[in-house]
Order: sequence, then C-alpha cells, then structure tokens
Amino acid sequence: MRAFLGIFQLELKALSRSRSLLMLAAASAAWMFVVPRLVVGDGTAEGMREVCLGYGLGGVLALVTVSMLAAATGSLARERAEKRLQLTMVRPVRYFAIVAAKIAALSSAGAAVLALACALAPFCAGSASNHRRCVHVLRPLMPSPREEAKAMYAEYMKSPDTPDAVKKARPSTVLRLLATRAWDRYDTVRTNAVTAWRFPAADVRGVRSGEVSARLKFSNTYNARQDVAGELRLGELSAAVSNLTQAVLVFPLADRGGEAGEEGVLSFRNLGKDALMLRPRRDVELLIPADSFFWNLLRSWVEMAATLTLVVAFGLFLSASLGRPVALFTAIVFLLVSEMSPSVVEQYPDEFGATLSDRIGLMVARTVTEVSHPISSMNPLERLSRDECVEPREVARAVAVNAFALPLALALLAAFVLPFKQEG
Amino acid sequence: MEAENVVSLDNVSKTFRDFWLRPTVSAVDGLSLAVRRGEVFGLLGPNGSGKSTTIKMILGLLSPSAGEVKLFGLSPRSVAARRRLGYLPELSFLHPFLTAAETIGYYAGLCGLSRREASRRTRELLAMVGLESVAKRPVGEFSKGMARRVALASALVGRPELLVLDEPTSGLDPISTKEVKTLVKALAQGGMTVLTTSHLLADAEDICDRVMILNHGKSVAEGEVSSLGTSLEEFFLAKVGSVQDFALAPFLR
Repeated sequence: MRAFLGIFQLELKALSRSRSLLMLAAASAAWMFVVPRLVVGDGTAEGMREVCLGYGLGGVLALVTVSMLAAATGSLARERAEKRLQLTMVRPVRYFAIVAAKIAALSSAGAAVLALACALAPFCAGSASNHRRCVHVLRPLMPSPREEAKAMYAEYMKSPDTPDAVKKARPSTVLRLLATRAWDRYDTVRTNAVTAWRFPAADVRGVRSGEVSARLKFSNTYNARQDVAGELRLGELSAAVSNLTQAVLVFPLADRGGEAGEEGVLSFRNLGKDALMLRPRRDVELLIPADSFFWNLLRSWVEMAATLTLVVAFGLFLSASLGRPVALFTAIVFLLVSEMSPSVVEQYPDEFGATLSDRIGLMVARTVTEVSHPISSMNPLERLSRDECVEPREVARAVAVNAFALPLALALLAAFVLPFKQEG
Repeated sequence: MEAENVVSLDNVSKTFRDFWLRPTVSAVDGLSLAVRRGEVFGLLGPNGSGKSTTIKMILGLLSPSAGEVKLFGLSPRSVAARRRLGYLPELSFLHPFLTAAETIGYYAGLCGLSRREASRRTRELLAMVGLESVAKRPVGEFSKGMARRVALASALVGRPELLVLDEPTSGLDPISTKEVKTLVKALAQGGMTVLTTSHLLADAEDICDRVMILNHGKSVAEGEVSSLGTSLEEFFLAKVGSVQDFALAPFLR
C-alpha cells in the first residue's frame, strides 16, 4: 500500500510541478465562463442553460479526456524511454501496483478538474438552476429490440415481400436489421381507438396529481402537420391532448381526485380525425419529479469521472505496450473512430448492395460501436442539461464497470505486458 | 532453505530478437557465475561485452533466452527477491522535479517502509552521502556527482542484502570516486553483498574480492583479487594470453 501511495503521489507531483494540472484547471475554468458569451443561444434562459451545461461542461470533459489520455499514454512509455521505470521495477512492488497507482493518480487529477468545472456550472448556468428539480424518465415496459427481432425472424423470412438478398443473408445480419426496425416500430392509433403502454408499476404507484407528466412525440400517416386531439389517462389522472405542432409535447397529468393507480398503464384515446403514430420505444415517456439539480450534477460528475478512469486505464495500457508516439496516435484514432462509428452505423443499418470496401468499413464501425457504445453512451450531460435524472443505478453501473472492472482488467494486462516491453 | 549463493547464473544465454523474432544479437552466451554472500564481486569487460545485459537479467528486467538466473534462490522477478535488492544504475535517472529528500522518501515508500521509518532513514542516508544541506533542493538542479550520491542513497534505502552497482564511479571526480569506494568497502565490511560492474580495472582492484571478465558475452577469466600477487591487469593478461584475440586490449590498457 505504501508503494501504491508513493507512486500515486509521485504522479500527482509530476502533474502539479510541471504546472500541467494548473494550466488544465485554468483553461477549464476560463472555458466555463467564456462559452456562454461566445455561443449564441435561442434567447431563453432554458437555452442558455443548455449551452452552459452541454457546451461548457462538454467542452471541459473533452479537454480533460484528451489531456489525461495524452498524460496516460506518455506516462509509462516516457519513464521506460528515460529508464526511470526500471528503477521502480527492481523495487519490491508488484507491476500491477505501478499501473494501478498511475491510473488512480491521473484519473483523480482529471476528476478534480471536472469537479471544478461542475462547481462553476451553477454560476455559469444561472442561479435559478440550483432550485430546479430533475425528473425520472420512464419508458414503456417492452421486450428488447433484439428479443422482438428474434420473435419476428421466422415470419419475416417466410414472407414473399422479403427481398431475396435478405433471405440469403446470414441470420445475424437479418436479426440486426429487424432489431433496428423494432427500435423504430410504430403503434398506429386510429380514430376513437385506444392504445395503452405499461410502465414500471413500482415507479408510478402512488404518484399524485401534478407530479407526473407524459412526454409524447406524435406523427401521422401523412407526415404533415395536423391537429392531434385525444385524451391521456394514467389511473385516475388524465390530460386532454390538443396540439398542432407534433413536436415533443409534455402533458401534465392532473387528477380527478385520485392517484396514478397500481397498474402503471398509460393509455391514449385518439379523438382526432386521422390515425396517429407513436414509436413506443422512442416517443412515449412518463416524467416523474426526482431530486435537485445539485444531486443530479453530483451524479453526473461521478459518471464522468468513472468514464475518465477507463480512458486513463486504456491510455496506460497502450503506454505499457507501445512507445509514446504510437500509443498516443492509437488512442486518439480509437477515440475518433468510436465517436464517429455510431453515426455511421445509424446511417447505414444494413450492408445490402454495398461494395466490399464499404462492407468492411461498416463491419469495423459496427464492431467499434458495439465495443465502445456501452461506455460512450454513459455521457450524462445531455440529460443534465434537459433536467432529466442521471439515475443512481446507472451511476453505480458506470462506477462498477468504468471505474473498477475494466480499469482493473486493463491494469492486469498492462502489468503482464510491462516486463516483456523492457526486453526492448 | 536459503541458497548460499546470493546470485547464481547457470549456463545463461540472452539473444535479442527483432520484430519478426529473428535473432539479431547474442549478448550473453552460456554464462555461469555465482556471487557468494558477503563478497564484493566485480563483473568487468569492455563495452558490448554483456555486462549490462547480465545485470539486467539478475535484476529481473530481462529474461534469459536459455539457462536459469536465481536471486536469493528465487526468481529475480519475485517480490521477495526484490525486497532484498538495491540497485544503482550507470546513470542516475532521477525525477528532476523531486527534492533529494523526496527522492529517497519515494524509494523508501516503494520498499514498504512506514512514513516515520522512511523519514528517519532519509535523514540518515542524506547525512551519509553528505547532502543534508541540499535536502530540499530539486535534484534536477544537482551536479552529476550530487545526483549520483542521491541515487546511491536511494539504492540503500531499503537496507538491501545485495547491492548491484552499475559503473558506480562513472562521471565522478577523484574525490567523489574515493568516497564511493570507501563507502562500498564499509558496506561490504558490514556484511552486504555487492555486485559491481566497471570498465576501470583500478577501481575493481580496490574494492572487489573476486572478479570475472566478460568478452562477447562469455566469461574469459575469473579469480580472487587477494590471491593474484600481481596487478589485476597482469593477472588477466596472463590468464587470457593474447588480449588481441579477445578484443580486450583497449579495456586493459
């Protein structure tokens, strides 16, 4: 433990005495105050708040991530090149402790800078932020798109409408295609018809009037603006729906002297002239008040710090295995590819009709997305800026996976590689 | 049961390979040696003779391609073996932003000393190497000789049973060289085993009990300094015959 603490302190001293940490903190603080004055918002306090939290904290997160990645990729590689690492490696300290202490030190330094930016966020976003409450966002209970795809598979392959190219494709490709469709599947609500969605009963039970809202995004068969009219009901709570915009609408559910009921079923009766369409996995949500902005900000910080730990661990693993420039180049390429891949996959959900080179590109993008998406999706800033609750169970998962399990695995791998790399 | 030999190499070879695993350099070839407890053993030889590679295998920084290296009867990479080891590299390789006291304290921490014990040991070692007055100065500002003394203090901080010195007098002025030699002798008299490399025969003659000369990764001569009855240079010239055959001429001169 003394060895671990020694290396931990040494790494922090290296950062602070080279003034790197000070520069990073100053740049982050400046960014938090400069961004609101540079970015033109929509003129509303809400818009300014989104700018501050999204661009401000987002910019600091990007800056800290790249800086700590550069420090991590350089750490072991530089010490090895300057032969200082061998002086540590001949001491009675486990190689794992060397890597783990460096991960802990660099991620702590990064987390401290993020904490500073988070502390400045309420000033940047306006004092009203402190009094706001975030909301839990509940989605209908449904089988996962993958499960739905499996259920649809046999029927889809038998259908005469299914193209031959798809019928000849591998089952995994077809299942992926069907899962994408399931994610976007619409429920059509005809005039005077009722459609219902079940929500987690435990979360909805006992919710009172004014404490719950439904957030919906309507569409109609003609994909044009048209009046929507109807009624939403959740137990004894209800709301009249009447709007022209078809944008994302929030309807507070008010009481008729009761509660949200035991079942957690939200129903919608279409009273308009045309059939309406709703994608239950995307367009139907219940919003229930949670705790304050402060707690949400704190949870966001924990989640960001956890993800930063993983980035640092990845950088140190590369640093243990490669020379400094190669490690830094590899890390930045991986970071860029993992940022771009989800949009490539979204734009090209299948490879039917694509050339061989495109197919290879899609395969790479899909693989990178599958590997990195569970991690990159843990970015809480979008929810924070929209006052959506960064759920504690999600934070716990981020801490368990990103701050402990994956860095531990990477540290073990780095410790394994370290003596081999000494061979030159 | 603890081995009598502190260090033992049994028919050890080391071949470096390129990216495609093709052999490029045979640095050590079938070397066997044993360093006994309490002795000062000198590993001598010209540049490229395999001294540093041998030292790195003993320290566990390199693994042998063939043969076996044991440190206190254990693998050199075991933590238990490294706990009993101190190492002074050819260049000091110190962290320039740390002060002298912090540097020694850092290595004390790596050796597992408690905070109080580390602090006491740091003061003791700074006094021993004569750097008490500059304890709070960053080592980046030190002269080469001062940095060398800090590195030596760092090597001794864990009270090692075996001290490995790679060219310990390299870059030192005559007074500092004499001080280091006196210190090594004192440590050896205190029971510490010392393994040192040098390309200066005079230095080796002053401090070593036993020496081995390496050339092209092989041992060409080995013997006890006290039983020579002549200078080290003459002894080895007699041992190896024509030094030209071994490319030792510049080294012995």
